[in-house]
Amino acid sequence: MRWIYVLTEALKGLRRNLMMTVAVILSVTVSLTLLGASLLLSEQVELATDDWVGQVEVSIFLCDGRTCPEITEEQREQLETDLEEHQVVEEVFYESKQEAYDRFVELFSDQPNLIESVDADVLPASFRVRLQNPQLFAVIADEFAAYPGVEEIVDQRQVLDQFLRFTNVIRNAALIVAVIQLVAAGVLIANTIRVAAFARREQTSIMKLVGASNWYIRLPFVMEGVFAGVLGALVSWGLLWASVPRVAAQLRQEIELMPFIGASEVIAIGPLLLASGAGIAALASVLALRRFLDV
Amino acid sequence: MIRLQNVTKTYKRGGDDEVVALDDVSIDVDKGEFVFVVGPSGSGKSTFMRLLTREQFPDEGEIWVAGKNLVSLRSWKVPMLRREIGYVFQDFKLLPNKTVYENVAFAMEVIGKSRREIERRVPEVLELVGLEGKAQALPHELSGGQQQRVSVARAFVNNPRILLCDEPTGNLDPTTSVGIMKLLDRINRTGATVVMATHDQHIVDSMRRRVIELENGHVVRDQSRGVYGYAG
Ligand SMILES: Nc1ncnc2c1ncn2[C@@H]1O[C@H](COP(=O)(O)OP(=O)(O)O)[C@@H](O)[C@H]1O
Ligand SMILES: [Mg+2]
Repeated sequence: MRWIYVLTEALKGLRRNLMMTVAVILSVTVSLTLLGASLLLSEQVELATDDWVGQVEVSIFLCDGRTCPEITEEQREQLETDLEEHQVVEEVFYESKQEAYDRFVELFSDQPNLIESVDADVLPASFRVRLQNPQLFAVIADEFAAYPGVEEIVDQRQVLDQFLRFTNVIRNAALIVAVIQLVAAGVLIANTIRVAAFARREQTSIMKLVGASNWYIRLPFVMEGVFAGVLGALVSWGLLWASVPRVAAQLRQEIELMPFIGASEVIAIGPLLLASGAGIAALASVLALRRFLDV
Repeated sequence: MIRLQNVTKTYKRGGDDEVVALDDVSIDVDKGEFVFVVGPSGSGKSTFMRLLTREQFPDEGEIWVAGKNLVSLRSWKVPMLRREIGYVFQDFKLLPNKTVYENVAFAMEVIGKSRREIERRVPEVLELVGLEGKAQALPHELSGGQQQRVSVARAFVNNPRILLCDEPTGNLDPTTSVGIMKLLDRINRTGATVVMATHDQHIVDSMRRRVIELENGHVVRDQSRGVYGYAG
């Protein structure tokens, strides 16, 4: 296989069809930008939920003597035993003030300013509770709110749910539009390749006649599609790289105490974008050529 | 070299309308033969040629070309079959934006021949067809006869064992045609089997080679050292 031939033919084809090529690149760019955005949103959600509240559904914060009298050792042990023995509780673990602070430091390791502004002593100790059924929060709240030494009981799921519902809607919408766009891009590529093959049918029929192999005939056309697909993917990667970290930085100022994805996550999805762009283009080209160029 | 056994080929023409292009045809052509296939337009000459390159597939019968059974030949092996066959058309089918040299070299490039081999072989073949001075000309700068020589050169450049010519002189005047016939004869003498479809009576009569006559898809005559039609 003479690669020089394949590549120059593919480039020639792209130049000959400049308008179509631009249309293909733009449509791949739009679809992959949306795809990338929805992927990044998923990662953002995962990052926030995983590290933010983890698997915990209920946090029972304990008094440390600032707003209410500090919980005694005895009260705490009583609370722990009662929690563990309670029907609706699946799992309980204790997080000391130091552990809370360590987790905080780890979570926001990329924001030294935030860490500095928080005193190691400020974060309360808590019992972190997982329920057999998350809907049963009210049972826990009713029963343990009155315990001595309990400062506050927070339904983490509720906090989380609002956030999740909002991001899921956006992510799914982006994903749906991305898939539709991707199909449209595929159809556009298939059409472009068909036009290119038709324009070169004379050359192609001679190649068939002198016994050029099927792949030798097809590859320039497929490469033509793949070039355009990869270019579109590169542009969408660049767009995401230029915009997402900026948006994240903006949000970081407004929503404190939540970790955000940055440039490294955008860079990490690059190969996937490239593979999608090249893949959809190759698939569309091969399908477009299947009937047209058969022996 | 070529064998057709009870071959039938019909074309579908939309709906139930069918055209029988070849009907129960059996033909044998030995290695090194020169064969004319004659008959009026629509008698099935081109269909016969297209069956030999697997451009068309027979409805019934068996076909062997260069030792390959074309009915059972896997489609990915078809390119290999076609490398054994050179094909010359009535309308030349040259690429208009490539020079004479490039048109001929193209047939070698696309089957992956090395540049060194191409640079050695193309001038040799251009000389054989008498176009050594026209290598850098574009097809539209050549006469019809010269263009047909280019197309013969392209068909022959990969040393095929079989040369199929479908009315190669159909667009040429008689004197130019004679030149092309001499060329085909020369190629035949190098050992290649030549099958030529034509309805040019003068050429057939002057060459005195084997003649297979088709009519409505039937072989109505197969005669060695024949002429175009029965005398009288
Ligand atoms: N691709 C095709 N589709 C339908 N009918 C065809 C096709 N090719 C040839 N035919 C028909 O088959 C018959 C034989 O044609 P052909 O082999 O081209 O004869 P010839 O070359 O002797 O003129 C004719 O009736 C022609 O109209
Ligand atoms: Mg014909």
